[in-house]
Amino acid sequence: MVSGKKVLSIQSHVVHGYVGNKAATFPLQCKGWDVDALNTVQFSNHPAYGFLSGFKSRSEDLERIIQDGLLSGLKIHYDAVLTGYLPDTQGLKKIGALLVKLCNDDPSLKWILDPVLGDNGKLYVPEDTVDIYKQILKDGSVYLATPNQFELEVLTGTVIADLNSLKNALNKFHVLYPKVRYLVVTSVNWPSSADDDSFVSACTDFTEYWYFNIPKINAHFSGSGDLFSAIIMDLLLSSETVELPLALNSALSLVDGVLRRTYDLTSKPAQSDDTPFKINDLKIIQCKDLFRSYPVPNFVAHKL
Amino acid sequence: MPRVLACQSHVVHGYVGNKAATFPLQCVGWDVDCVNSVQFSNHTGYGMDKVFGSKADAHQLTQVFEGVMRLKDDYNALLSGYMPNRNTLACMARFYKEIKRHNPNLLWLLDPVMGDEGQLYVDEDVIPEYQDIIHSGLVDIITPNQFEMELLYGKPIVNISDLYSAIQEIHQFVPVIVITSCSASLFDDPTHIYSVSSLRGSPQPYVYRVSVIESYFTGVGDMFSAMLLHQLYYMFESKNISLFHEKTNVVLNVIHRVLEITKRLSANVKGSIGDPVTMREMELRVIESIDCYECNSIDKDFSFKYDWTLCS
Repeated sequence: MVSGKKVLSIQSHVVHGYVGNKAATFPLQCKGWDVDALNTVQFSNHPAYGFLSGFKSRSEDLERIIQDGLLSGLKIHYDAVLTGYLPDTQGLKKIGALLVKLCNDDPSLKWILDPVLGDNGKLYVPEDTVDIYKQILKDGSVYLATPNQFELEVLTGTVIADLNSLKNALNKFHVLYPKVRYLVVTSVNWPSSADDDSFVSACTDFTEYWYFNIPKINAHFSGSGDLFSAIIMDLLLSSETVELPLALNSALSLVDGVLRRTYDLTSKPAQSDDTPFKINDLKIIQCKDLFRSYPVPNFVAHKL
Repeated sequence: MPRVLACQSHVVHGYVGNKAATFPLQCVGWDVDCVNSVQFSNHTGYGMDKVFGSKADAHQLTQVFEGVMRLKDDYNALLSGYMPNRNTLACMARFYKEIKRHNPNLLWLLDPVMGDEGQLYVDEDVIPEYQDIIHSGLVDIITPNQFEMELLYGKPIVNISDLYSAIQEIHQFVPVIVITSCSASLFDDPTHIYSVSSLRGSPQPYVYRVSVIESYFTGVGDMFSAMLLHQLYYMFESKNISLFHEKTNVVLNVIHRVLEITKRLSANVKGSIGDPVTMREMELRVIESIDCYECNSIDKDFSFKYDWTLCS
């Protein structure tokens, strides 16, 4: 067990279910991380339920907690910062600028940034958020960025339709954001793909490029991306000698294990046509044993 | 898999309130739904000038609870701790009472966090609100310290006879009472902390004695309440209430192990209030204690024989 590693995780909080900080915290704690969870919102549940209620944290509060409390007051030295959903554009701008400075000043601090913008062709944040993320990625020494396909397309202004255009997008990302050290794109689908039973996940250190074909599970899960960024953070930072494709392979395998167990433990709708159904809550607690053991890489890395 | 709704404070750094309760409960298999009554950078022991963040107001908490109610979750237990003022306490209580009335079988543990050793650290109007909640008869377990017990009882507790009377009085409304720490004068022994637990209908309360660790730990009470809820939930499920004394002892053993680990890893720094560096060292080592929570054994018997016949 890695002991004494500290991460500041800036994400959403839901009372019920496992997305944002609720999806990241328990798995990381099982892996020995001290997780300082700063909640950007407090909602009853995540939006896929079709309703939710709660409130957003004030951005001045978030800023003061980080700057005056954790850094100046308590003088905590973090090993990593993990950022996800921030609902308020002004807050994102301010906290983004604060973290950019922090990471540029301290190369030992690793920033894992999930540029939460949207999914499946749809933005679910205000439009000016895109430019704020572009600026953060330009300025900040981000250790790892974990966009999904749509977010990578938006950030690079490209369209990903096959392996070639995927590689092109990864390249373009590096040209636009040269300070970002590693890039992982979590799930890529193309409609014309011959093999519709799998999706693609890719990574690069901008000298080499790799991709994986991952078999799909017939369901939509909420929180899997947040779980993924936490897990790959742990895998990348738990040893000095990082092999990016191996870390990605292990992270994909662990998340796949969690999703499959969640699928098995969730009662299915009565009519069984082939359309994927919605699974609202990851069975995070029931997967404690998976988080406590080292994941076995299950997939095959291909050079892109 | 049992499910609990927990409403208390959240700190970004360190382990008190929901941060002290959640991980231990998750480790023993609970789905923990956390409502955070505040979000602070750290606990107040670092010095008030080093606490940043804000309290949720009653309107914000109502919004969160209304969403939770729409989910119609079947909770097995309710846990409530620090609420900063009367409005937010009343808000929590309104929703908890509704949930409990809808499902009388679930277990509600209420920690009436008001102060310690004669000092109140919430607004004074919180006291009658807690009394009202207790008198509703909907709370199953309370975990006050002696000072909080006095506030609920409405009279001072200066000797063991008073303590006994207070327990009997509150038992009219609450079946399980665990007084987590009594003042040193009560048992005339400053070298130990005495706890008293009582189950309504049992012949007499049980007394436990733990050595005083001279340092400033916070979050111990919050973790104690969480682990007590876990142990008593399974005791009531098994319908074997004769295990009450043993289960309280098990919880004290769990806490004792966590404190041992915390002490060992903090290199014997003594925490002093207001000093961030030593205070950080004294945070409970909740993560490093991952293997403590599932333990059901009594390695150290903390029970202390006390003759209650003089009181009854």
